[in-house]
Amino acid sequence: MSRAPIRTSLIAGVGVLGLALSACAAETDGDSASGGDGGGAKEVTIAVPSWVGAQANAAVAAHILEEEMDVKVDIKQMDEPVAFDALHGGKADAILEDWGGVPKKEELYVEDKKTVVEGGDLGVTGHIGWFVPKYFADENPEVLDYENLNDFVDDFKTSESGDKGQFIGAAPSYTTYDKHLIKNHDLDYKILPTGSEAAQLKEIQRLYEAEEPFLTYWWDPQWMNAQIEMVEVELPEYTEGCNEPAEKTECGYDTLMLQKYFNADFAENGGEAAEFLKNFQWSTEDQNEVASMIAGEGMAEEDAAAEWAAEHEDVWKAWLPKS
Amino acid sequence: MSTTEHAQGAATEPVFAVRNLWKVFGPKAERIPGDARLGELSAAELTARTGCTAAVRDVSFDVHPGEVFVVMGLSGSGKSTLVRCLTRLIEPTSGTLHIDGEDVRAMDKSRLRELRRHRAAMVFQHFGLLPHRTVLDNIAYGLEIQGMGKVERRARAEEMLAKVGLDRLGDRRPGQLSGGQQQRVGLARALATDPEVLLFDEPFSALDPLIRRDMQDEVVRLHREEGRTMVFITHDLSEALRLGDRIALMRDGGVVQLGTPEEIVAAPADDYVRDFVRDVPREQVITLRRAMRPAVGDEAITGAVLPPSTRVVDAIEAVARTGEHVRVGEDGNVLGVVCHSRLLSVVAGLDSGHGGEPRGEKAGAI
Amino acid sequence: MSAPALEKRDERPSEPPTETVSAKEPAARPPGPAAALAARLAARPSALLVALAAVLVLVSAFVTGSGAWPAGMTVDVTTPLEDLNAWLVENRDSHWLFLYFLLHVSNNAELAVDSLIGLFEGLGWVGVTLLGTVLAWYAGGAGLRPRALRTAATALGVFLVVGVLGMWDPTMETLALMTVAVAAAALLGLLLGIAAGLSDACDRALRPVFDLMQVMPAFAYLLPFVLLFDIGVPSALVATVIYAAPPMARLTSLGLRGADPAALEASASLGASPWQRLRTARLPLARKEMLLGLNQTIMMCLSMVVLASVVGSGGLGDVIYRALGKVNVGQALTAGIAIVLVAVLLDRTTAAAGARLEESETRAPSPAAEAPRKAGTRPLLRSPFTVSPGRFARLRGWPSWLGLGALAAVLSALGPRLGEEEWPREWTFRITPYVNDATEWIEKSLGSGVPVVGGTLTWAEGVTNGVLNPLRDGLNATPWWALLVLVAALGWAVGRWRAALTASAALGVIGVLGLWTKSMDTLSQVLVALVITLLLGFAVGVLAARVPRVERWLRPLLDTMQTMPQFVYLIPVIALFSVGRMAGIAAAVVFVLPAVIRITAQGVRQSDPAALEAARSMGATTRQQLLQVQLPLARRSLLVAVNQGVVLVLSMVVIAGMVGGGALGIDVITGLSKGDLALGLPAGAAIVCLGVLLDRLTQPARTEGR
Repeated sequence: MSRAPIRTSLIAGVGVLGLALSACAAETDGDSASGGDGGGAKEVTIAVPSWVGAQANAAVAAHILEEEMDVKVDIKQMDEPVAFDALHGGKADAILEDWGGVPKKEELYVEDKKTVVEGGDLGVTGHIGWFVPKYFADENPEVLDYENLNDFVDDFKTSESGDKGQFIGAAPSYTTYDKHLIKNHDLDYKILPTGSEAAQLKEIQRLYEAEEPFLTYWWDPQWMNAQIEMVEVELPEYTEGCNEPAEKTECGYDTLMLQKYFNADFAENGGEAAEFLKNFQWSTEDQNEVASMIAGEGMAEEDAAAEWAAEHEDVWKAWLPKS
Repeated sequence: MSTTEHAQGAATEPVFAVRNLWKVFGPKAERIPGDARLGELSAAELTARTGCTAAVRDVSFDVHPGEVFVVMGLSGSGKSTLVRCLTRLIEPTSGTLHIDGEDVRAMDKSRLRELRRHRAAMVFQHFGLLPHRTVLDNIAYGLEIQGMGKVERRARAEEMLAKVGLDRLGDRRPGQLSGGQQQRVGLARALATDPEVLLFDEPFSALDPLIRRDMQDEVVRLHREEGRTMVFITHDLSEALRLGDRIALMRDGGVVQLGTPEEIVAAPADDYVRDFVRDVPREQVITLRRAMRPAVGDEAITGAVLPPSTRVVDAIEAVARTGEHVRVGEDGNVLGVVCHSRLLSVVAGLDSGHGGEPRGEKAGAI
Repeated sequence: MSAPALEKRDERPSEPPTETVSAKEPAARPPGPAAALAARLAARPSALLVALAAVLVLVSAFVTGSGAWPAGMTVDVTTPLEDLNAWLVENRDSHWLFLYFLLHVSNNAELAVDSLIGLFEGLGWVGVTLLGTVLAWYAGGAGLRPRALRTAATALGVFLVVGVLGMWDPTMETLALMTVAVAAAALLGLLLGIAAGLSDACDRALRPVFDLMQVMPAFAYLLPFVLLFDIGVPSALVATVIYAAPPMARLTSLGLRGADPAALEASASLGASPWQRLRTARLPLARKEMLLGLNQTIMMCLSMVVLASVVGSGGLGDVIYRALGKVNVGQALTAGIAIVLVAVLLDRTTAAAGARLEESETRAPSPAAEAPRKAGTRPLLRSPFTVSPGRFARLRGWPSWLGLGALAAVLSALGPRLGEEEWPREWTFRITPYVNDATEWIEKSLGSGVPVVGGTLTWAEGVTNGVLNPLRDGLNATPWWALLVLVAALGWAVGRWRAALTASAALGVIGVLGLWTKSMDTLSQVLVALVITLLLGFAVGVLAARVPRVERWLRPLLDTMQTMPQFVYLIPVIALFSVGRMAGIAAAVVFVLPAVIRITAQGVRQSDPAALEAARSMGATTRQQLLQVQLPLARRSLLVAVNQGVVLVLSMVVIAGMVGGGALGIDVITGLSKGDLALGLPAGAAIVCLGVLLDRLTQPARTEGR
């Protein structure tokens, strides 16, 4: 007998809730016409991968867009491949830092479908390589030549790698040829599949603090470089096309200018916001400064961006659209 | 252990001596027994006032060697709690408790274990058999706990199996037996340790009436053969009357009346007990010792002689056949007589209710 | 080098309950252990079979030395999957399937979530807190009853703490996504559950589907969903619904099937049509189970919402994921606490609603009726037919709902004017630095150099060298056909033909997919994680069952372990165990342990009290009670614990891949993050196959009633 009142009250509740919902939906619809109708977007969505450098880019861009230009910024976390899909579909307007990890998608969307456009250099130089900690390199300078790596197998041995040396691998979404390099140079090493950047960073932090020897895939810019000193192991020099096909790769990694990409529609109709992001360009040092504030000191992203912006007005003034 | 002829109520030391035993469940239970004002409250009032339930309140009794002591009461009267207090399966709240003169409440863990292993064994309402063991291993379980070797305990278990009439079923699992058979296993398990006392906690109430009857006969037989002391919990009055040498009737945790079946039926202590025994066929419980009156005139000379332990129902037959009174005699003395009116008043229940009526045995002594 | 592991596996199946050799004829020379073993085995054909298969495995492993699945017998699934992948990418803007169906699904999902976020923003933090508190209060039965007040206070506390932690915005996003996901999952689960509850054919057909939905790692199908539904909210939502619907469906079906047959008969005898019967008798009778299902669905939605942040769904998962990139445990934990709090809020609210339901079905609570239960005696017999105080419930129901609606309307109108959309920033308190200090201290002091025991890093290395490596190498050294025989024999011993066939088919599929070696690696990790979990879980579970105080202390800890997103403790786990398979195993143990402990404790506690009392009355020691009575009687529960352990450990394979577990887990992750369907999906399928295999081998057969 108590069922009837429960049901009616449910209906009533849902009804009221529905009313409120639709009212709000109507209200929000007005200002959320995002991404590029007409003269300038009021809201921009930036896709950000999980690493801190990229978060620094987005945080600074968002800070200035919101404070100086009154554009609302939505920062969405997603990995490179997904981010390209998002750019293509209009779910995101911009990627500020691309390492060229998904050439196939890049080609499909930029060349074939023309839904994504290049946005120019970020200004930061990216470099990937094989690294050992400085304390180890200082004692064993020979390790810095890849041809001698087989002599150090015993130093790099762990329970995971068995009787081979351990090579700390990259997170799965990162660009690597390590598997092929190890095979093609007959190196007696086994890759430790770290599975995520966080895992790799933590492992390196741990080993570094314990001053144990290790050999790892590593890159710059990387906020942790402010805390630890690493030395690169020399691989055969990169030449154009030496890593194609990947299976035949014998050379080291290229040094690349990190790229920005925009949704085509946003690039065209995004107005001042789009212009600002096209102008956005800073140096590796700038990025590292913000990144180590975020990661090293544990500051909130917004706070780190605000602090950097306060000190580097000259840099970001140049990004503002000239109107 | 096999001597049966302990005179009841004799000066021998009681097996269990229980004095002012309390078991209170609930917050700060230990304050209840000492508090006279709380002790007077009814069960419902006590719960409302303190949040505590007194499952056993101020119970005292002795269990004599060789007797079957029945504790009976309705469900919730505290009888199952009481029997568990005897071996401290439930820890009493206060009171004293002795077994063969030894203070049970003062026992340490190992001594208590000793008591449970060798001196008292229990039979449970829901059997408590281990479904993953064979019947034989179930019976031997108590011996296994004691640390007896496998061969020896199995042999002993076989013996017990035969004793309860389950030979050839030793390899089965409890789940494959009927309820009655399972309880026989429970009984055999208790007997296997050759305990001084057997404790029965409503052992037959989960069984069908016919099987229950069988099992009661089994207990009577065992008692006759071995004379083991038994404490028997039941909510079934006829079972209590059938088995008990003495009965303690419990209500709301307290003992309302303690006496032989005959005393309880013939002289209920209060209305509650009277209500309880109302439907009992009195002629089957009350004996001539209670029904007789002093002989008048020459009555002491004529008529058939029956012993005072004869039940009224049997005397009726004799009186009906001869048409005259019957003499009640013992050791050549005439204690008194019963005539048909006397017997009829027993059947009609007119003799009871006068607790103060002089007892026949005293009136007609020698 | 592979010998130790193989010997270990040989012993396990052939070891009967530990008893010494039967000594019925003491005169005869005691038979050698081997002869006794043989005699024992001969008496039990299934054990004999398993022992023979184990011997075969041992011998063949030594003879051949390597036995991966032959490459010739694999089927190439990569090419068609790559084609599919390419087709999806190519056609998603033009094909009718997308334009007229999937696009609408996405848009509606997104709209619903956005509207909710809009509503929350419109209400402002004051409004949301008030509304949530009132809702919880109503769910708890309204009025001034202790339960209603307790539930309301919980809700109020949760909202305030979330605000103080500075997690207000992401929590609102998560709540919005959750609300829509729970609604969709519950509806889907309800429909499937009704189908399975009413029709045996449906039940048979849906059962494996539910299994698949739960065991298939979400990472494996998140990718296709991104392609089908677009990134962000829609695919997160669909993935969540798929993951979270099965419990609702299962429990609904269970409730429908378990309904009191007498009541159903009565309703049929009154001439009710099937629809009337469903509506008036069967569904109401299954309400309790359905509510339990809803509760579980909510919890699973919550764990999935975090994972879904990988595809850009935002919310608290996003915060955790970003904190990971900075190796900032404190930040991740802050968001993790918010998740746990949301879980507590939703769990308590649904539980209170459930308790209210139960109460209205039985009787009004009176202090007199509750007291004896508290006092430790048996509860009074409760009749399900006593009339509930419906009139009061009715009176209380209406105004509170109306009031609630009015409150929502007023608050959303006023909210923006109050100017407090977001939690004021100065009212937040960052626990991050403290947590990080604490974590660092733990990492430093437990990692290595602990006197005597050596520290976690040393253990990790020991287990890896001593158990994991030999086990993996042993599995890989064993010829595939010998393993198939062993699995079939084990399956036969457990569940006769059906189990033998299913289990070996599952193993076969792994081979055919070409993932044999990786699967053996994963299998070795799963087995080790399982053994560690079971050892710990049984020990703690038994302790909890026997010592009520331990259980009281454990409960909040277990709740937290189960609801805390795994991402949060990945970093400490790495610090303590170093990147590698042991880190993955440790994470899995943390995640699975609560379930095993709970099932064990419950099983031990619920073992027939009469049997335990009988043992006590005979003077059994604690040890004897445990070994001879409680554990044997709890055998079924322990088997359930093993089975649940298997399923849960497998669900952690992918997470383990994120901290160096490698093998199948990393393939799934790589597949997702590289957008490679052909890599992720087969690896996901292999994990499912391992799940089916282990599930069948640990599921107690129904025929086994000896």
